[in-house]
Amino acid sequence: MSNHAAGHTHHWEFSWAPMVLTIGIVLVVPLTFVSWFVYKNPTLAAGFAGVGVPLLLVGISKWVAEGLSHKPLIEGVSPSALPIFIISEVFIFLGLFVSYWTMRLSAGGAWPPAGTPEHMNLALPVVMTIILVTSSVTYHVAEEKLDHGDLGGFRGWLFLSIILGLSFLGCTIYEYSHLLHEGFGPSTNAYSTAFFSITGFHASHVLVGLGVFLAVLIPALAGKTNKYFTFCAGMYWHFVDVVWFFVATQVYYW
Amino acid sequence: MKKAFGLPIGLGALLLAQAAQAAEVAGKVVDPAKEWDHLWHELLIDIGIMGGIFAVLAAYWIYKYQAKSPDDIGTAPRSLSRAQMWAWAMVPAFIFMADDFFLAAKGWTVWNIYRTVPPNALEVKVTASMWNWEFEYADGTKSTYYVDAKEGDGLVVPAGRPVVLRMTSLDVIHSFGLVKHRLKEDVMPGRITYIWFLPKEPEKTFVTCVEYCGTNHANMYAPVVAVPPAEFEQWLKKKANKA
Amino acid sequence: MSTASSGFSLKEWVFTTDHKRIGILYLIGSIAAFTLAGLMALLIRIEQSSLGPTIVNPNTGGDQYNVWLYFHGAAMILGFLIPGLTGFAANYFLPLMIGAKDVAFPRINALSVWLFFGGIVLALLTFIVSDPPDVMWTGYPPYSIRTGGNTALYVFTVHLLGFASILGAVNFLVTVIYMRAPGMGWNQMNLFVWSTVTAFIIQLVFVPVLAAAVTMLLFDKYLGTHFFDPSAGGDVLLYQNLFWFYSHPAVYVILLPALGILFEIISTCTRNMVFNYKAAVYGGMWGIVLISGEVWVHHLYISGMPDWIRIGQMVSTLLISVPVGLLTISLFGTLYRGAIHFTVAMHYALGCLFLFLVGGLTGIPLAMTVLDVHLSETSFVHAHFHFIMGIFAAFTVFAAVYHWFPKMTGRLPGAAMGKLGFWLNIIGVHVTFYPLFWIGVKGMPRRYYDYQMFPEFEPFHKIATLGAFIVAAGMAVTILNWIISAISGEKSPENPWKSGSLEWTHCPSPPGPGNFPKDVTVTADWHPYTYGKN
Ligand code: HEA
Ligand code: HEA
Ligand code: CUA
Ligand SMILES: [Cu+2]
Repeated sequence: MSNHAAGHTHHWEFSWAPMVLTIGIVLVVPLTFVSWFVYKNPTLAAGFAGVGVPLLLVGISKWVAEGLSHKPLIEGVSPSALPIFIISEVFIFLGLFVSYWTMRLSAGGAWPPAGTPEHMNLALPVVMTIILVTSSVTYHVAEEKLDHGDLGGFRGWLFLSIILGLSFLGCTIYEYSHLLHEGFGPSTNAYSTAFFSITGFHASHVLVGLGVFLAVLIPALAGKTNKYFTFCAGMYWHFVDVVWFFVATQVYYW
Repeated sequence: MKKAFGLPIGLGALLLAQAAQAAEVAGKVVDPAKEWDHLWHELLIDIGIMGGIFAVLAAYWIYKYQAKSPDDIGTAPRSLSRAQMWAWAMVPAFIFMADDFFLAAKGWTVWNIYRTVPPNALEVKVTASMWNWEFEYADGTKSTYYVDAKEGDGLVVPAGRPVVLRMTSLDVIHSFGLVKHRLKEDVMPGRITYIWFLPKEPEKTFVTCVEYCGTNHANMYAPVVAVPPAEFEQWLKKKANKA
Repeated sequence: MSTASSGFSLKEWVFTTDHKRIGILYLIGSIAAFTLAGLMALLIRIEQSSLGPTIVNPNTGGDQYNVWLYFHGAAMILGFLIPGLTGFAANYFLPLMIGAKDVAFPRINALSVWLFFGGIVLALLTFIVSDPPDVMWTGYPPYSIRTGGNTALYVFTVHLLGFASILGAVNFLVTVIYMRAPGMGWNQMNLFVWSTVTAFIIQLVFVPVLAAAVTMLLFDKYLGTHFFDPSAGGDVLLYQNLFWFYSHPAVYVILLPALGILFEIISTCTRNMVFNYKAAVYGGMWGIVLISGEVWVHHLYISGMPDWIRIGQMVSTLLISVPVGLLTISLFGTLYRGAIHFTVAMHYALGCLFLFLVGGLTGIPLAMTVLDVHLSETSFVHAHFHFIMGIFAAFTVFAAVYHWFPKMTGRLPGAAMGKLGFWLNIIGVHVTFYPLFWIGVKGMPRRYYDYQMFPEFEPFHKIATLGAFIVAAGMAVTILNWIISAISGEKSPENPWKSGSLEWTHCPSPPGPGNFPKDVTVTADWHPYTYGKN
């Protein structure tokens, strides 16, 4: 992170991005949730979220800006760091899947439990799979373009990936609203519990992935890119894609 | 108690455990609580020896190797030879492992006694709720104990006969803790768990709730009374008539 | 990131991305958590010192007590020990020990420490909200779902602290892999570095499972899902399995760095090579990583798990004594032919050797399924884990502060007050926790504010309470000593304990930005634990 590649820094490094980001996170997630669900106080919740979201955005943009303009102490290690992080993500999903398997296997023949719609829409997940896989491919193309110095092409393909990601989320929203309409909500039965938790948790990862894409795209519009950052964004997206196969096969077709 | 000093002995003990236990139960009903006490004393000796060796050595070395001057330095060799290195890893590892298997075998033996309900046991259903114990006998008679009012008989059983409890809960997890008989097992909604104990002679003891269950967790207890068998029959009849 | 000139500046402190300052922030946060949680312990001890309600409101019964105990357990483990060892100690010393200028991702490091403080703030809300969490640090459903207490605060505290340590894990693993001083091989790393690496591997794999478990708790309570609700197809024991799948390995996240610190101190203060280094690393530390994930059911021995699992995990739990035993041999063996210099840190370290035996060996009866059936959920368990965690591991944090005090402040810690604090502490903890062993075997249940069916235990509780106040005095002396010494202690020489490790030999005290005045390289025959003749 020092710019003094030759000698040693004699300066204390600092950045306000992490703290602002944290305050944003604490306001947006725990405090908003608690105000809304525990104290049933929408005003308070809106207040926390209203302050938190801007802080979150400011923190992220400052962070990204610094990441693009400063030379780190050691370069090129993020492609090894992200897989390490992904190990822990894998275990979160495993935790959820294990819970699902436990409930399902202990139910024996009584599956799917009462309250599950007779005919789940099994075509939609196929469409969603196609969308997500395509978006992985388009992002890969975007990276290729960037490797060949074609910034315009990079932006275009990246934009396309974002659109595909958004349509994936659109499908989720469509599906959820249908199911809720049929009276199949998170609290209906054991299957709905697992269904909404797992697909919802995956969808939240898609959302984060899209956020990362935006954080790549916006500076790219101004001509700023960082190959490690772009690479990591892609790796995360492919991971989310791979997890989807497990979600789809386990939750929809098993 | 002899200590096992080899892996084979430890493993052998593990295998023998099963057979030994079967023989014991076949004879007459053994009291699990007595076996527990016995095992506990053996264990204390075992870990006492293990810990004692390390503690005495450490104390002796701390005394012996005090620095003579502020510049004094240690004289241990910089590194062990390859053979020493492996020996100092493998030999202790096998000693520890042998001790582990030895303890496991001993523990398993007593565990089997704990989990094998004698055939002539009296069955009682236990239902826990926040914060009360209810006992139901084979004929449907129910008994309970109200802590606040200090009223009710609690669990009454005939002395000399094993008692098996089939337990479940109406709300949260509780745990049936019977200190006198060295026993406890959780009581959960949606599941049935069991334990058994042997009240050898007339006695008065109590069950306490030992899984955290909120405000009155510390007050969730009930008497457990063993009475002569004839008295038990009378009590049960009286109780049934009242209901 | 901006840079600014040196000299004190509040901005450079609160927005710092420097690993040393982040380490100090972690230390401040975790000692604050310890103090508060310790004060809760005093309330707990006062309450238990006599039969019947002592200081709680007799009408609300245990509610107040349960909140104190919740805060005590959660804050001690999640707010004090894990951040104290993997936050403070790892942050400050690990980069110095491997000759690095900082960690690989300094801003992520800053994010971790602020997430940690966020978690502390949420925990502190316990004292403000009208419905404080009362679910104990274990948070078992269905109680945690049915309670009127604010389980959400518990869940989010765990989330924030968990996320902080996952980020820390990624950061430090990458740092150790890529940023060791040129020439430093794996077998030349300080044992504290190894212990941190292995502890973080455990964090990385197991914390997420805990996060998943508490998330399900949140969903069950507030969104109406049925993960743990047997009446709708859920499983009551699922949470306990997931929770302990994390929380047992978590004890090794505490144990490993604690042992790492002891190795540093004992080797330095005996000026001696660590005995059988490779056995300690590959047999001991990696052995623990390997086994730690297969023993969690020993916390569920009384939960009605299938018999074969209870027996299987009895064997694997007992086998933990093999890697731990190897570490013990290396640790004790380091004394052999040493030259023991009795610094304050060494007092703590030597005390810890005995505490470790008591705490570790009392884990053995708990590991035996059938013995645990009686001992589980009694104060015997308390005494076990206070000895090994609340005392042994906590003492290693204090020892670390004493040992590296000159490094962090440039001043020597006051020896007289330090030793006084040590003796008060070690006497106090024995007076507190031996009675708990005793009444535990006699059946004293856990989490009881009142014990009317066991009136014979009252004197023992009184003694334990007395002990707790001795510890409180010892801790007050200790913390005061740190503050006084930091402000006005005697100036320390560069390498006061004459250590051979890089943080002492190659960098000034306290180190400035960038740590090392000159780039560090080490040769193949360099080793942190070589002293003179050998
Ligand atoms: C730092 C924390 C820490 C550490 C390191 C340990 C270490 C161990 N613990 Fe402990 N434990 C806790 C913290 C810790 N524990 C906590 C917090 C709880 C309670 C949680 C709650 O319910 O709230 C708990 C509870 C607990 C239980 C559950 C009790 C119950 O609730 O019913 C069990 C059961 O097996 C157990 C066993 C062990 C064992 C076998 C070890 C082993 O790792 C110990 C190994 C060490 C030694 C054995 C000593 C040194 C070795 C030798 C001298 C070699 C020779 C020895 C032999 C061959 C025997 N512990
Ligand atoms: C790191 C972990 C840790 C530590 C260090 C401690 C420390 C202590 N613990 Fe803790 N304890 C736990 C972890 C820990 N505990 C856990 C996990 C539980 C289980 C919770 C549960 O059941 O869910 C528990 C439960 C527990 C109980 C069980 C209650 C019950 O089940 O009913 C008791 C009872 O005696 C107790 C007592 C103590 C005492 C007396 C100390 C003492 O050693 C504390 C001493 C410290 C102080 C007294 C602080 C004083 C400091 C100052 C005064 C300095 C101020 C001065 C200046 C600022 C200058 N603890
Ligand atoms: Cu019922 Cu505790
Ligand atoms: Cu454990």
